[in-house]
Amino acid sequence: MTIEERITKANEKVMEIFLTGRPVWTDVRPAIEVVPGMRKNLILHPGPPIDKDHIVFPLRNSISGAAVHEKLADTVEEAWRMVLAGEIEIAPAQNYQCSCAAAMVMSASMPVIVVEDKTSGGKGFSTPHPGSNPKVLRWGLYDAEVEQDLRVFRDEYCPYLGEAVRTSGGMDIINILSKTAGMGDENHNRQPAGSMCLALTLAPYLLDCNAPRKAVKDFLANDRFFLNPLMAASGSICASAKQVKESTVMVGMGGNGEDFGIQVSGTGNAWYISEAPYILGTFLKPNYTVDDLLRYMGDSCVTEVYGFGGMCAIAGPAYMRLTGSTFEEAISRTEKAHSVSLGEHTFAPVPWNKYKGMPVGIDIRKVVGFNVLPISHGGSGLKTGGQAGAGSAQLPMDCFKKALLGMAEELQIV
Amino acid sequence: MMDIGKILDLFKSELVVINVGSHTFASALEKQGYTAVQVDWVPPAGGDKKLQEILKIMGGLH
Repeated sequence: MTIEERITKANEKVMEIFLTGRPVWTDVRPAIEVVPGMRKNLILHPGPPIDKDHIVFPLRNSISGAAVHEKLADTVEEAWRMVLAGEIEIAPAQNYQCSCAAAMVMSASMPVIVVEDKTSGGKGFSTPHPGSNPKVLRWGLYDAEVEQDLRVFRDEYCPYLGEAVRTSGGMDIINILSKTAGMGDENHNRQPAGSMCLALTLAPYLLDCNAPRKAVKDFLANDRFFLNPLMAASGSICASAKQVKESTVMVGMGGNGEDFGIQVSGTGNAWYISEAPYILGTFLKPNYTVDDLLRYMGDSCVTEVYGFGGMCAIAGPAYMRLTGSTFEEAISRTEKAHSVSLGEHTFAPVPWNKYKGMPVGIDIRKVVGFNVLPISHGGSGLKTGGQAGAGSAQLPMDCFKKALLGMAEELQIV
Repeated sequence: MMDIGKILDLFKSELVVINVGSHTFASALEKQGYTAVQVDWVPPAGGDKKLQEILKIMGGLH
C-alpha cells in the first residue's frame, strides 16, 4: 500500500467517526471524578502549551483564580508563584479531552459537562456556560465576587443540572442540532435556537429535581448555554479520532491569547503552533480598538473542528451581519471550508444553501496544497480581561505547514 | 483543416484576458483599457519545494 493509500484509509476511519458520531450529554460531575488524568494540583487551560514568561494577563488571572478557588493558594499572587515553581501544574485542556472557552480554565472541583459519543465511545468534557454575567472567570476576571459566583455555580446549581441530565436519560446533541437546523445558528458564536431547544427539553427535569429558583432562571435565560455541551460533544468525537494513526484530519485547535495551535489525528496530542491571529469584527463598546485586543484565545473553536462556526458560516447569516460582514462572505467561508474538508454532516442541512450539509473534517494536505485557510468565528478578549467583541479570524498557515511536516516525520517521509 | 475565419473573428471581438500568476500582467492590460480577470491562484504549498515534495507522496490534492 502506498503512503497516500494508507492516509486515505486512515482518513476514512476518522470521517466515519465524525459523520456517524452520536454525542449524548450524560452527566455533570466534578472534573476530578470524570476527566482522565485530572489531579488536584492540575489546571487545564485553553489553546496550546503556554510559555509561562509570556502568558497574557487574563489567562494568568484565570489560572491563579482557579488555584485560589481550589484552595491551593490563598492569593492569586501566591498561586502564580506556585505555578512558576511547578507546584501547580498547567496543561492544555485539549490534551485531556477537555475544552475551555475564551479565558476559562478547568480545575479539579469544577463541575464539567460529560458527553459520550455512543458510536465510537469517546468522551469529551467542558465546564457549563457561566451565564450572561460579563464578570466571569471565563473572561479572565477574578475577585471575591467571582469566587462567590464560582462556588454558587459549583455547589448550588451544577449538582441539580447533573441530576436533571441523568434523570432525562441524556441530551442527544445531534437531535438538538437537527431540530434547530435552519434556525440561523452557526453554533459556535450564535446558538439561541440550540439553547432554547435544550432548555425546552431539559427544563422539566430541572424543575422536577427541585433546583433552586435562581439556577433555573440563570439556565433558562442564557442563549449561549448550548455552546458548552457542543464543545464537549466535539471533544468526544475528537477523542476517538485522535486514536487513528496516519490520518491527516485536524482534530483540535485553540488559542491562548498569544499562540494558536492545531492538532492532527495522526499525531494525537502534538501541537503545531504559530502566532495567534486577532479576532476582528465588532466591539461591544465603541471606545474599544484593536490595540485593546488579545490575540485568539479559547478552545470553543473545537466546535469548528466538528463543522460549526465559520465552517458553516452560511447557516448563521445574522452573526455575519452582527460582526460587520456579509452573506456573500458567509458563502465564501463555507465554500472554502468545503474545499479543504473530507465530508459533510447530514443531520442539519442548511435550507438556503440547497439543503447542503456542513463541511467537516479539515484535511491539512488540502489546506497547504490549495493555499486555502479555514476561517474561524470567535469572541475576542481584552488585554485587561473581559470580552472585547466578536468576529472571525483566518487560521494561520504556519500551523498547517508545521503539521504537514509533523505528519511527514510520523510517516517517515522526511 | 483549421477554420482561419474563426480565429480572425476572435481578434476582431472584444479582448477579455484571464490572467494566472503575477497580477502585473493584468494591471498592464487594464491600464490600456482592456478587461482582465485575475485568477486567485498561487502554486501548491505557496511554492515551498519541500512541502510540494511531501504532498506528492502524501497525495490528497484531488
